[in-house]
Order: sequence, then C-alpha cells, then structure tokens
Amino acid sequence: MKAKNFLIVFIIPWLIGFTSDQNLLLPGDTPVALVKKIVKDVSYKKAGQSDWDLAKTGDALFDGGQVKTGSKSLALVLFTDGSGLLKVRENAVLNIYGQRNNKQIDKNTYIDKGLIGFEVNKQEDAEFKFTTPTAVASIRGTLGFIEVGSDSSTTISLENGSVEIQALRGNRGSGRVTGGNTARIDPLGNVNLNAASDEDRKKNSTTRQLTTKKVKIKTPQGDLEIEYYSTGNN
Amino acid sequence: MKGKEFIKKRFFLIIVFLQLLIFNQVIGQISNIVSSVKIGDAKEKLPLAISAELFSAENISNISIAYKTFGENEFKKAEMLIAGNTASITLPPEVVIPPYLEYYLIINLRNGSTQTYPIDITQGVSPLQISVSAVSEKEKEIILLSPNPGEMLSGEELLISISFIKAPENIDVSKTKIFLNDADVTSYELLTGDLIVLSGENLAGKIGFGAKLLTVEVYDKEGKLYHTISRSFQVVSTEVALAVSSKWKYYGNLKGESRNENYNSASTWYNNISGEFNTSNNDIRFNAFAYLTSEDKENVQPYNRYSASFQAGDWLDLKAGDSYPIFPNLILDGARVRGFSGSLNLGAINLQTAFGETMRHVEGKLLQTYPAGTVPLGSDIILIDKLRNIYGQAELGTYQRNLLVVRPSFGSGENFQLGFSYLHAKDDNGSIKYGARPQENIVIGTDLKLAFDDQNFMFTSQAAISVQNKDISSGTITDAQIDSIFGKNSNLGISPSDFKKIRDIVGNFITVNQYLGPWNPQEFSSFASETALSLNYLNNNLRASYVYRGNDYQSFGQTFIRTDVKGINVVDRIRMLDNKLFVSFGYESLKDNLQNTKVATTTYQTISASVSIFPRVDFPNITIGYNNYDNNNGLNITNTQTAPFAVSDNTNRILMQLSYDFAAAGIRNSSSLSFTTSNRKDNTMAKMDANFSSGSLTVNSFWNQQLSSIFGIVFSSSEIQGTQFKYVTLSFGGKYLMLENKLQLIASLSPSFGDFQRQVLELTADYNVLANLNLMFQARLFRIPGASTNSIIGLVTRLSI
Repeated sequence: MKAKNFLIVFIIPWLIGFTSDQNLLLPGDTPVALVKKIVKDVSYKKAGQSDWDLAKTGDALFDGGQVKTGSKSLALVLFTDGSGLLKVRENAVLNIYGQRNNKQIDKNTYIDKGLIGFEVNKQEDAEFKFTTPTAVASIRGTLGFIEVGSDSSTTISLENGSVEIQALRGNRGSGRVTGGNTARIDPLGNVNLNAASDEDRKKNSTTRQLTTKKVKIKTPQGDLEIEYYSTGNN
Repeated sequence: MKGKEFIKKRFFLIIVFLQLLIFNQVIGQISNIVSSVKIGDAKEKLPLAISAELFSAENISNISIAYKTFGENEFKKAEMLIAGNTASITLPPEVVIPPYLEYYLIINLRNGSTQTYPIDITQGVSPLQISVSAVSEKEKEIILLSPNPGEMLSGEELLISISFIKAPENIDVSKTKIFLNDADVTSYELLTGDLIVLSGENLAGKIGFGAKLLTVEVYDKEGKLYHTISRSFQVVSTEVALAVSSKWKYYGNLKGESRNENYNSASTWYNNISGEFNTSNNDIRFNAFAYLTSEDKENVQPYNRYSASFQAGDWLDLKAGDSYPIFPNLILDGARVRGFSGSLNLGAINLQTAFGETMRHVEGKLLQTYPAGTVPLGSDIILIDKLRNIYGQAELGTYQRNLLVVRPSFGSGENFQLGFSYLHAKDDNGSIKYGARPQENIVIGTDLKLAFDDQNFMFTSQAAISVQNKDISSGTITDAQIDSIFGKNSNLGISPSDFKKIRDIVGNFITVNQYLGPWNPQEFSSFASETALSLNYLNNNLRASYVYRGNDYQSFGQTFIRTDVKGINVVDRIRMLDNKLFVSFGYESLKDNLQNTKVATTTYQTISASVSIFPRVDFPNITIGYNNYDNNNGLNITNTQTAPFAVSDNTNRILMQLSYDFAAAGIRNSSSLSFTTSNRKDNTMAKMDANFSSGSLTVNSFWNQQLSSIFGIVFSSSEIQGTQFKYVTLSFGGKYLMLENKLQLIASLSPSFGDFQRQVLELTADYNVLANLNLMFQARLFRIPGASTNSIIGLVTRLSI
C-alpha cells in the first residue's frame, strides 16, 4: 500500500468527528490548605473564630486560618494548589493566608513562634511568602526550615533552592539564602548570612523525618496509647 | 442532535471496521531475535523504561540501545541488562525531551555478527520513535494532592484529596468518579470549591488493609472522560503505620525462572534466580540485587549481575558489584563496571570514583601450531612459546580489562561546579593465554557548569585528552631498545637519555613502547571537547552546542562515542498557547576528517522541525516531524578517480504520531497511530537509494475491571537499491482477571504476512497463590511457515517480602 493511501485511510478519517468544546469557570470557596496529618495535640481555628478546635486529618484551612501544635506534636499542612507541604513542629503557631488569583493561589504564612519545615515546589507566577515578626521571605522552590525564636528572631535554613529575605525592622536589610546556607535576622533587623551550622543541618534532617513514638499506659479501664512526635532527642 | 450523534457513532464504527478490514494484521518490527519492545510512559524529564522481549537470549552476546533526542544527528548508546528473555534499560530523565526520541537496538551475537532492530538501520531503514509528551498538562491541571505515591498509612491517616484549582473551565468537578481498587467510593467524597476530599473518617469500615489502587476519572461538562489519574498506596493497621514511620522500611522479592527453549530443533533448559532487597530509614537506604542464570558461562561475557548499594541522603552513595557509573560523557558513561563506585558530595568539595572490571577474561582457543620459519601471516597468529619460538593460530580470547576513574569536583552543581577527571584502563596481559594486543588507556578531563536564575541560564563545558597504547604485550620499551633506535647511528635527532627520562615519567601512568599514541597530539587528534549554552526564557528553550572529537580520541569508559567529528548543533523548543502547542527547530552541521586522515571532508547537515499539539480537549495529541539529512564530501561523482570515495546523499523523513484516549459505549480506550516515511537519494555511483514507509495503529480497550484487550496493526514497506520488502503484522490479545483477581490470563496472537511471514502465539497465566507469592506459566510459539516452529515454555515463581 502506498504511503499516501495509508494517510487517507488512516489519518484523515481518524481526525474527523472529534470536536472541542469550551465551558464556564467553576465557582466555589476553595480552602487554601488541608491538614494532612496530625500527631498528638493539634488544634485549628478559622478567621474570626475565638476558640481553638481539635484538628483532624482532612480539615480545611481557609484564608486567615490558624494551626497550633502542642508539646511533642506535629501537623502536616498541604496547600491545595499543590505548591507544597509545611511541617509544623511542636509548640508552633501558623497563620495561613491565601488569595485566589485566577488559577493560582498567592500564599502567605505568618509564624508567631516555633519551627516550620517546608517543602515548596517551584512557583511559576504564584507567590509563596513566610512572614515572621522580624522578616519576610519569598520562596520560589526550596526545602528547609524557618524558626521564630522567643525573642522574635528569625532563622531560615535551606537544604536546596533559594529564598529572598527582607528584615522588617531596623535598616530593613535584605539578602538571598541558597542551599546549604542559613540566614539569621535578629530582633533589631540585622541580617546575617552564613553556611548552615551542624545544628541547622540536624534541624533540617529531623524536620524532614516524620518519626513518631507511642507510649502505652495500662489503666484499670484499659490501655491508653499516646502517639507523640519525636525530635530525635527523646 | 441525536441523529447527528448516531451518524457520528456510525461513522466512527465504519472507520474502525475499515481499518480492521484493510489491515488484517499487526505489531512488532521484523526480527528473529526481538519479538516486541515495550516502552514506558514517555513524559518530559522523567526516566523512561524500555524493555525488549526476546524470542531467545541464546546466541546473544549483548544488546545496546542507540537513542537520540530531537534535532541531534548522533545516537548515544548504552548497554541494556539482559535478564531471562528480556533486555531492559531506563533512559535518564535528561534525555527524555519532547517532541520525540528516536532509537534502535544493536544486538551483538556470539558469532561476532551484529543485527539491528529494526533491521537494516545502516541501509536507510528509519529508527523507531517514541513520542515524548510534555509533562502532562492534564496532570498539572488536576493535582492529586494526597496520598503520595507508594505511601503507607493507617485508615485514620488516610486522606485522598484532588485539587481542581488549575483545571480548565470545561471540567465538571462534581462528575468526578473515585475508585479504590474495584470499589466506587465517590459517594463518600466531600466537595468544597475546587477541591475533593475523602478522609479516613469518611471511609471508616469501608476499606480493608492492603495495597490500594486509587483511580480518579475526571469528566467534562458534557460527561466525556477528560482524564484518568491512578496512584498506588497501602493502607495498614495503626501499629504497622507507626512501625513504618519510626523504623526501618524494607522490601524484597525473590524470583525464580525455569524455561525450555525449543529452537531450530535444539531443546535447551535455562534456569535463573533473582533477588532484590531494599531497606531504608529516612535518608539511609540500602539495596541489594542479584541475578544468577545458567546462561552465565566462562566463554562469554558475564550474564550474572549482582550489586549492593548504600546511600546516605544526597551526600554519600556507595555501590559494590555491577554498576553503570555516570561521569562526564567523554570519560565514562553507560559502561558496566564490576567492582566499586561511589560519590561523596559535600557541596563545596565532592569526590566521585569507580574502579573494577569492565570486561571479563575469556580464554581463547588454540587451533594450530607452527614452528618458526613456517608461520603464515595473520592477525590471529600469536607467539605461544617464547623459548621454543613456536607460534599458533588461535580463536583470540578477551583480556580482563580493569578500569579506575576519579573525579574530584568543586561546587554543588546548582550554580557552579568544576570537575577534574582521570581515567586509567588496562588489559590484564596475564589473564588469558591465547590472546593478542592487550591495550591500555589514559584519559584526563575537566568539566565546568555555570548556572544562574534557577538554571534558566546554563553553560556547560567539558574537555578531555586521551593516550592509548594499542599493544602492551611486549611491555615497556627497554634501555637497549631505545639505544638501538635513537643511539649513535640514528638520524632521528632524539637523545636516548631524554627519551629514557620521558619514558620513566610517562611510564608511571601508562606502558611506553612503540604502540603508544597518538603520534600527532599537536593536531589535537586525541582531544575532545563539548560546550553548550542553554537559555530558558520567553517560552523558548534554546540550546546551542559545539563539539570537537579528534580521530584518535579514545576512552575505554565510553566506547560508543563517535570520533573524528566537529561542528555545531542548535535546537529551539518553543511552548505556545499555554503549553498546548510545541514547535521545535533544530540545525546541526558536523564535519569529519579533522586530522586529514580521509580522502575528503564530509559535511553532515541535519535540519529538523516538529510541531506537537496537546489540545486538552476531546481531540488527539498530535506530533508531526520533518528531518532532512544531507551528507556530502564534495568529491566529483562523475570522475572515475574520485567517484568511489564520493559521499553525496540526501534523506527526507516525515513522521506523524497521534494518541487519543476516548470512551465509546462505556468502554475506555487508549489509542495511538503513527506513520513514518523516508526517502534517501544517493547521488554516488553506489546508488544506495532507499525508500521506507511504515505505519502502526494500536488500541488498548478496558472493557471492565477484569477484561482489557489490545489490537494493533503494523505496515512496513521498504525499497533499498530497487529491492522491495513489504509486510503487515496484525496483533490482537487480551488480559482477563478471574478468581477474585488472583488469576491473570494473557493471550496474544501476531501473524505477519507479505514478504515476511511468521506467526507468534503467546500465552501467560499468572496466579497469585498467596498475598506475596505468584506462580507464572508462560508459553511462546513462533512459526515461520515452511521453515520452522519454535517454542519457549517457562515457569516463574515470585516471592515478595
């Protein structure tokens, strides 16, 4: 059979009959994030709500929602646009903000205190920001952790990728942190960039781990099991 | 409206029927070695698994794949792993680039001859194409947020979540169907805006423990299937989930196979056993693999494979046994090394090394002896007794070849890396008795990578220089030999003492004698370099590169590399219309004869263009490509003196590939259609004109959870130097699951008609005896009318732990 005949018999008829169509945009109130996993004591509240509710897997977090972890606790928060995962470690408070911008969500998180590990996929046009009392960090795609100390100082350490940071106090210094490095923004707004210390690397490593432990307490009413998040030190 | 639909359906059925009627045959290229090639899901920047099913591994020495990306002239080659009757390889992500890959297989037989698949590649038959889809736009649009692939979690932790935030406007989220294994769990979903959520709480008591296959079917507003996503994960008890999250995870399997091959009236039994064990704890991973087969014999290169590897995060990687280490491609890439390889990546300073055996010694065979004075000339005549001066004719064996590579580098490679490589490979002269011309090789190289702006701007460069000794059997040149050559009576103008000094210095690295080369290093004959600049801006992915490889460049770690070539290559891949349209252009101009070792310089010029359409609506994905290859060395084709050496040919090639997933009468179908035609015009007196056309159609139909079928047609027509060869192959088969999906039955029949006649019948029964134990019976029958009927019957046992 000639090639031309093959074309006529196969391809042209194959293309006929297929049609395309266009329809309308979906409406809806889509959460910014979801609780993917909880260990021990995790609570959340919606914007404007005064009381904390116990969180459970699958809880939706909308703009202005907050997640709080207790001692030895852990929460995994998954962004609904597929942009990444946050690991909220013990005794931390995470505020989540998100604005729908066509087919993407501009995300901002405010961290009052505690340590948050992050795995953020490469952002195309959408924004992904971390804000703390002393700094703001814009993320494009990276793996690392951000920690807010009791004195409001901020530490950002990266395993890979890059983050643009700007201090919100003092002379509002700015800089770029890349993989293997750590930025420390002190309460006065001074920015110090250094190679990640052993402690930073350990924190990065333990943040990536999701190791939990369980204790079983025998009581007259039956066994009581408590699962808790292990940081490796206990 | 209904009438229109009816006419449309009728028309569709008529077309399918016509296609069935006209081509009453199918699939697989003509070959007496390879029955079919299975290609994994070819998606941009993802590893691509390719496996070739062999009629018989008997008589095969090794199989390599030759592949190239769009716009490239040169095929890269890599050895495939032969296990049982399957040769397989996984191509690295960086070469899996849209719009398509071209490939063919090189099969080296034990008798020293070579075949290609498809056959006659060197005669102008077109290689095969693999359409590479850009990272599926549909997968970017509809995101399966949770669970992660392979995730192991408890029922309480289970979270299934699908995001439609980036989905196109014609998608109806509410029509989405969700299946867990066979069960439809759509009714348990919670729909909130553009998000679907199913949590363990919703599914409590509805699903048991074990492996789960999550299937999500997404529909448009007209109810047509738009996309299907699948993901495997496991639901385990809380205790197991906790144990898994806190302790070592492990996985292993054992597989044993016994098969009988009845080939050309010779009946042979083969037995093999393979085992794999993986364990990991966060960043620490350990893997062990072994494949032992009765085909491994002392007179051939090894068929057995075994390896053990240890990984600690990204910073440490150690392997022992068989490995395929990857260094800069001018140094070592694609070769098997039996020994040790590893890398230490500290970021600022890194070290990579590999050492071991790349060829096993295979003893030759003495055929005849000759006393001094009666020795004939011949490349297979060797000195076998120095004292008595006796020579012999031998089937030459293969020396054991040992290799060492070291590459220190500086920088993590994210923005900067500078590396230095040293390779030393040497044949072990004492490893065999009957061999000739053991060799030795040294390569020194450097490589640089500079990347900015998230690697959107990337500059890479590498250079290497090689030294080779083509016969080290006589050892290092002696003082006496130097004195006799360069001594008092010599007019070579070289001081014997200077030569001895150079010998002593160079001799620390490589054997120095009269076979050491190159002799013309000042002409860069053993120099090779590659430089490339990649820019990824404004939806353009532009890559321009320059290559130079002298005619004497040789690395024993990279035996496939094409030498005696220099030139440029420019490829631009343009993404348009929100990634629905890809347009690619390529231009390459290469020249040979760099050291004036040929009669004339040939220019190899390639122009490529391709358009790929991913319409994201109910319409096929389409790729159309065009290539023009022009080879010319400028010699007069009419002059009788120059005509025999003239090169002047031009090849035009057009290819078209379509793929389309559709549902008809409630049945999901996945179809692909491809067509290639090429025409080579040879203007020289050899008149190696070649015309080649082939087309194929494959339809996979998923009738229900138990039954799926495949139908295919291949049509091929070639004419090489006036000799025509046409055939059609029809393939049809099915897969059926029964006994609660424990028994899987597969059957297929592939008859070929025309100038190539053959019938292939394959039957497989795979029974899941226990949750982790499978027994598989496989039978293959292939008959060549009027010639032979051969069979392979095998039993395979698989045990997972």
